[in-house]
Amino acid sequence: MRLIIAKCSVDYVGRLKAHLPLAVRLLLVKADGSVLVHSDGGSYKPLNWMSPPATVRTTTPAETELEEGVQEQWIVQSSKTDDRLIINIHEQLHESHHDLGVDPGLIKDGVEADLQRLLAEQIHTLGDGYTLIRREYFTAIGPVDILARDPHGATVAIELKRRGVIDGVEQLTRYLALLNRDPLLAPVRGVFAAQQIKPQARVLALDRGIECLTLDYDAMRGADDSSTRLF
Amino acid sequence: MKFQVEREVLAEAVSWTARSLSPRPPVPVLSGLLLKAAAGTLSLASFDYEISARLEIPADVSEEGTILVSGRLLADICRSLPSAPVDVETDGSKVTLSCRNSRFNLATMPENDYPELPALPQVSGVVSGEAFAQAVSQVIIASSKDDTLPILTGVKMEIEGDLITLLATDRYRLALREVHWRPNVPGISTSALVKAKTLNEVARTLGGAGDLNIALSDNSELIGFESGGRRTTSLLVDGDYPKIRSLFPDNTPIHATVETSALSEAVRRVSLVAERNTPVRLAFTDGQLSLDAGTGEDAQASEVLETALVGEDITVAFNPHYLSEGLNAFDSKFVRFSFTSAPKPAMITAQDDIDGEDRDDYRYLVMPVRLPNP
Repeated sequence: MRLIIAKCSVDYVGRLKAHLPLAVRLLLVKADGSVLVHSDGGSYKPLNWMSPPATVRTTTPAETELEEGVQEQWIVQSSKTDDRLIINIHEQLHESHHDLGVDPGLIKDGVEADLQRLLAEQIHTLGDGYTLIRREYFTAIGPVDILARDPHGATVAIELKRRGVIDGVEQLTRYLALLNRDPLLAPVRGVFAAQQIKPQARVLALDRGIECLTLDYDAMRGADDSSTRLF
Repeated sequence: MKFQVEREVLAEAVSWTARSLSPRPPVPVLSGLLLKAAAGTLSLASFDYEISARLEIPADVSEEGTILVSGRLLADICRSLPSAPVDVETDGSKVTLSCRNSRFNLATMPENDYPELPALPQVSGVVSGEAFAQAVSQVIIASSKDDTLPILTGVKMEIEGDLITLLATDRYRLALREVHWRPNVPGISTSALVKAKTLNEVARTLGGAGDLNIALSDNSELIGFESGGRRTTSLLVDGDYPKIRSLFPDNTPIHATVETSALSEAVRRVSLVAERNTPVRLAFTDGQLSLDAGTGEDAQASEVLETALVGEDITVAFNPHYLSEGLNAFDSKFVRFSFTSAPKPAMITAQDDIDGEDRDDYRYLVMPVRLPNP
């Protein structure tokens, strides 16, 4: 990772054109060849950037540019397209190199997979007497998140979402149509479980005879502090 | 179908029936109001599979018939009509509504597709509408608004003989209110879990017309209310309501009496500086209650009130919202706080005199916020 703070102007040339006038900015040159131009604001988004793979060439500016005060010109050429990022450096204020090594990656908390694992472990959240058949029950059109059995022995297909919107209900409807053709499983009932269920999704689900279940993720993972409550 | 009715009567009837229409009807006919004109009366009905509403009003009917029209639209029209008799007449698949110089043509929907409304179960008893409405308004504040625990979005009605006990909780507070009624069956013992929102509507729209009939079905799936010609039914919430009566403390060695309105006002003022999730602290000492909220450098507020304290000095902190909502539910001159100890739930009850006894027909239990050790 190479960090440079410089007074520069930046031009993107190729499928589209964009110009950043002269100002002090942070330039990031990453080990994968990508170059990012950041201002001191605008959150995590760069002002402009070149995605990898790309190569950086440093050239001596042309006569006219020298007169304008350009000390150094970078041409960041995309290896896949004709797109180029041209950075005209007028004054370099800081430069440093760091070897960051391999990043372990972002671990998100509360994703669908966590919900699936927790609900499979705590299948009683659906009601007393429910038992788990399996997670990721495979069908020809994709895996059903959880297949369970209700207290009366009937099969229940559960679709899990963090945010329950209409798409999730549609998805579950497709699974239910398919599962109900299996004489060994039919009749299969649907449960749409999410941390938050949008009103439209709820109406559609109930109209199709699908039960809605709002999940409390904190309570499921045991992060719930019941000492602040009456019970 | 053809009838004439006064605008005020029609507008009120339509707006009440249209209240229980679903905002997102899964079937188009459910967005409609069913109007039935027969022998001097007009009956209006709405239904969303969960809640049904019906009422009858006297009307000058010249031709009998039944139509189904968009409820929202009809309610909006009736509300804005001038104060004069309204004529309603069907014309093929349209209905014409005229009032003085205004004329509206509305499309009708096929009434044959309209589902049959559930019948009102047999009346189980009668309660004073006013008393019931007040009781409901006092417990409803404690009900949960969170869908993750659908059971707690309901109000539990426990009926034992001539006493109805209403219970609501969101796990941070609990409200219990007892109200007497006149059951048709002596020694009746049953219970029902009704959505807080539904019960609130019933209290607000049916509580003002004297006696309120309560009808409970034998299969305990449905509850019905009837008052002043208005009838409504609702499906009950399914599930086991937690046993929460035992949460009330048996033994409260500390209790403090404070003037309700003064405290309510003080809490409202002091909590202005309590930011989100910060509590308001109440320190009870002999003869004096000091309230304060806010921390550190930002903003602080404090206020001192008179109190009659029995037992040791105590300092407790509450979520200001939970405390004010509770205090506002009391109409007695004084309220009594009963404490076991600072971190345990505090109970608020009504009291008429500063040194009298408290009443236990309404009890509001609230969980204090734990204070960091000083």
